Amino acid sequence: MIFILEDTINGILMGSIYGLTALGLTVIFGVLKVINFAHGSMLMVGMYAAYWAVVLTGLHPYLALVLVVPVMFLFGYFLQDILIKPIFKSEREVREPITVIIVTTGVWYVLDNLTLLIFGPQYRNIQDNPLRGKMLEMGGMLISMPKLWGFFTAILTALAVYWFLQKTRMGRAIRATSLDRDAASLMGINQYRVYNIAFGIGTAAAGIAGATLVPFYNVFPSVGVLFDIKGFIIVVLGGLGSISGAILGGMIIGVIESVGAQFMAATWTEGIVYALFLLVLFVKPSGLFGMRYDW
Amino acid sequence: MTREKLQKLSAAFLLIITFGLPLVIRSPTYLHILILLFLYAYLTTSWNLVGGFAGVLPLGHAAFFGIGAYTSTVLYLQYSISPWVGMVLGGITASIVGVIIGLPTFKMRGAYFALATIAFGEGMRVMVENIDSLGPFRLNGPRGLQIPPLNVGLANLMFSNKEPYYYIILIMLIAVLLLTYIISCSKLGYYLNAGGEEPEAAKALGVNVARCKLIAMAMSSFLTAFAGTFYAQLTLFIHPKSVISLDLSFEIAFIALIGGRGSIAGPVLGALLLRPVSDFSRIYFGDKLPGLHLIIFGTVLILVMIFQPRGLQEPLTKAYNRLLDRLTQKPTEKE
Repeated sequence: MIFILEDTINGILMGSIYGLTALGLTVIFGVLKVINFAHGSMLMVGMYAAYWAVVLTGLHPYLALVLVVPVMFLFGYFLQDILIKPIFKSEREVREPITVIIVTTGVWYVLDNLTLLIFGPQYRNIQDNPLRGKMLEMGGMLISMPKLWGFFTAILTALAVYWFLQKTRMGRAIRATSLDRDAASLMGINQYRVYNIAFGIGTAAAGIAGATLVPFYNVFPSVGVLFDIKGFIIVVLGGLGSISGAILGGMIIGVIESVGAQFMAATWTEGIVYALFLLVLFVKPSGLFGMRYDW
Repeated sequence: MTREKLQKLSAAFLLIITFGLPLVIRSPTYLHILILLFLYAYLTTSWNLVGGFAGVLPLGHAAFFGIGAYTSTVLYLQYSISPWVGMVLGGITASIVGVIIGLPTFKMRGAYFALATIAFGEGMRVMVENIDSLGPFRLNGPRGLQIPPLNVGLANLMFSNKEPYYYIILIMLIAVLLLTYIISCSKLGYYLNAGGEEPEAAKALGVNVARCKLIAMAMSSFLTAFAGTFYAQLTLFIHPKSVISLDLSFEIAFIALIGGRGSIAGPVLGALLLRPVSDFSRIYFGDKLPGLHLIIFGTVLILVMIFQPRGLQEPLTKAYNRLLDRLTQKPTEKE
């Protein structure tokens, strides 16, 4: 029976990285009330950034984060500022503009295929990195080291985002805007700047998730799609806008995938995840851990 | 000449041209491109019944397309039932599934609805990929189904040349456009429009918004399944990744959105502008610049959403009306 425990642990570790992806989505949703369909592509961009940083400079994959985080933050910041802000301005009275979803889908297609055009369709991975294929042996179980590092990174990132939202002035402005954008504007908060920063944070989180995947995952142009749809499922499962929900939801999906693969064809676990997702949507659309405004 | 006459004349002109095209274009490749263009125009117009008139964003229509393709193909291969019959049965199945999916999802708000339909479409693909047979019906999992091109003829909706396919899809497109026109002028059309834009106000006026949306969904999925059967008979080979793909669901929605959802001309216009881009960039740049057409799609989509959120049909319709005005006004000036 030990293999079930082993799979559960590895599922939780991998799931925390899914959770990290979903964390970015949930921060963006919490503030803008919009689902960023380009989120998987952001993760893909983060993966390529980390990949090239490691290949060109020979850095440790985790040191690449020093580069990836600010680059991705600025990327998200300006993406929102240039492409999404005009829509918010023209559709001011709409609370959840569908148009924004469509624009982010356009961004997804452009980013994925631009990457395909520039870097080609081949799968890339970093062969000689200190984490690749490392296993931790623990009571007869094998735990993947790069995933363990990913787990710690995810938890740390979640705590950092939580701290930022709770303790800083900007964090308070973000929370205020997510509760009521008009009231926040009346209090002198520049709501568009808040959107930019929230989008930047969300994109940076996707970038961090990408960087933690690089040591053990293949980098290719459409890699984001795998995480995109999982990310949507996780945020709804955990409750849109909930940070702890995103991480826990990610772990649930990770465990279903890795333990489920022991009992059925791995492709079926995907079906179970979709079924679970639809079930949660129908029965409890606020998610398993979501409150209406959970920050 | 009066304005009405001119409009009728241009419509008749358009009809003659579209029906005459196969006499001029003999190349099967170009004819195939035209067939796909009309197929997409048909699909986006069907999508528009829900995505445009009902004001939601369904992103799982490939599932209905797949139901149509699989129903007729399985019935033909196993029981030698004519694909025409299979087409209708597939449509009925799809609209039942559409209503079942619509019942809980239409209660959801914007983003949730889009996500639920994605999960539905992808769940359907995963299911078909993983099962070899559903009860007595052989689906053949990820390997897909192949139709042997043996009994060619109208009864089996199978032809050795492209021209019959061209005329069939053209007639289907005209029919669905007429249907859309009738709906948009009917009570249902107004109800849908009201429910899509101001659901609360519509409900207060006594419109049963949920029921209208379900009717639209049933019709849309019914018509989409027809296209699935047509596609299966055109290519004679279907597999889950080709007929139930997320890409197909997205492409349908994209084309309709770029053209202008909620209008009759918009989805057709979108297909007319975007399908050639995708086909020709695949033919000429497919090996050197893969994915170019999707970059163009994405960019156009972003630009249209920012600058023309009602789609490209709006400025073009205006230009067309202005042209009509000018053509009809000149004689009166002379008088």
